Amino acid sequence: MTTSSAESLSVTVDTEVTVPGRVPGNSGMWVGIFCVLVEFFLLFNVYFIAKAHNPEAFFIGPDKLATIAGTAITLLLLTSGYCMVKAVSAIRSDQRKASLRWTIMAIFLGFGYPIVKYFEIRWNVAHGIHGETGVFYTVYYYLTLTHLVHVTWGLMGLIWIALRTGVGAYSSQNHSGLEAAALYWHTTDIIWLVIFPFFYILR
Amino acid sequence: MIGHTERIWLMLIGLTLLGALLGEKGHAGWLLTLTVAILLVLKGGIVVDHYMEMRSANQRIRNILRLFVVLIPILVIFVHNWGEDIRRLTTLN
Repeated sequence: MTTSSAESLSVTVDTEVTVPGRVPGNSGMWVGIFCVLVEFFLLFNVYFIAKAHNPEAFFIGPDKLATIAGTAITLLLLTSGYCMVKAVSAIRSDQRKASLRWTIMAIFLGFGYPIVKYFEIRWNVAHGIHGETGVFYTVYYYLTLTHLVHVTWGLMGLIWIALRTGVGAYSSQNHSGLEAAALYWHTTDIIWLVIFPFFYILR
Repeated sequence: MIGHTERIWLMLIGLTLLGALLGEKGHAGWLLTLTVAILLVLKGGIVVDHYMEMRSANQRIRNILRLFVVLIPILVIFVHNWGEDIRRLTTLN
């Protein structure tokens, strides 16, 4: 059996790096990630203040939204994130093909988000829910579409990473770019985990 | 093969479906808010510690991320309990 076929058939073993004090990915990406966290922290405060001023609108608001859409997006993002964990694990074992496959899978699942969002917005509009329907829906569109923009950047980053992995740019010794893209992708997960209950569950 | 990452992923999926079930049932009130806050801490913490591998990472980075996933649920509870006070504090006139 050749090395490449052995690699493509091998199981990706979890290989978490446990060097105390390590900065995963690269410092530049962490600046970006903290900017995103600050941005969304401010936007979440807009949600909190709007809710405090309009408790009734935020009480009945989630009833008109499709919980299934929010749930589907959460499952897609978490599963896509899982694929990126596996992609990072694979490259640490120099399994480039496996890493590429996991990254492509993550991209494929990640693209499910804008598709679900498209159908959700179509469904909303068909049911008379748009940006000016009420304060709850204004905040809902503002926050979820801002998140979608960040996910789009993340997807572009993952496509770049897949191309780089495809040409053999990463190895067990040099994969900080792949790790940085995965970290940004997980950050969009964390932000969505907050947005999901805000608009689909909490009353 | 079910490894550590698969167990973590399954846990996240399970907690998400639990949250979705709560949303579909349309429950409201203090218990729902508390449950959502706990789910947020659990899910956020799992992503930070396991997906992002923060358990052994730089302490400052880890603390900022952990603070984020704990602070938001605290604010969720705060808004639920003291919404009237927040409204008064954020009214201009």
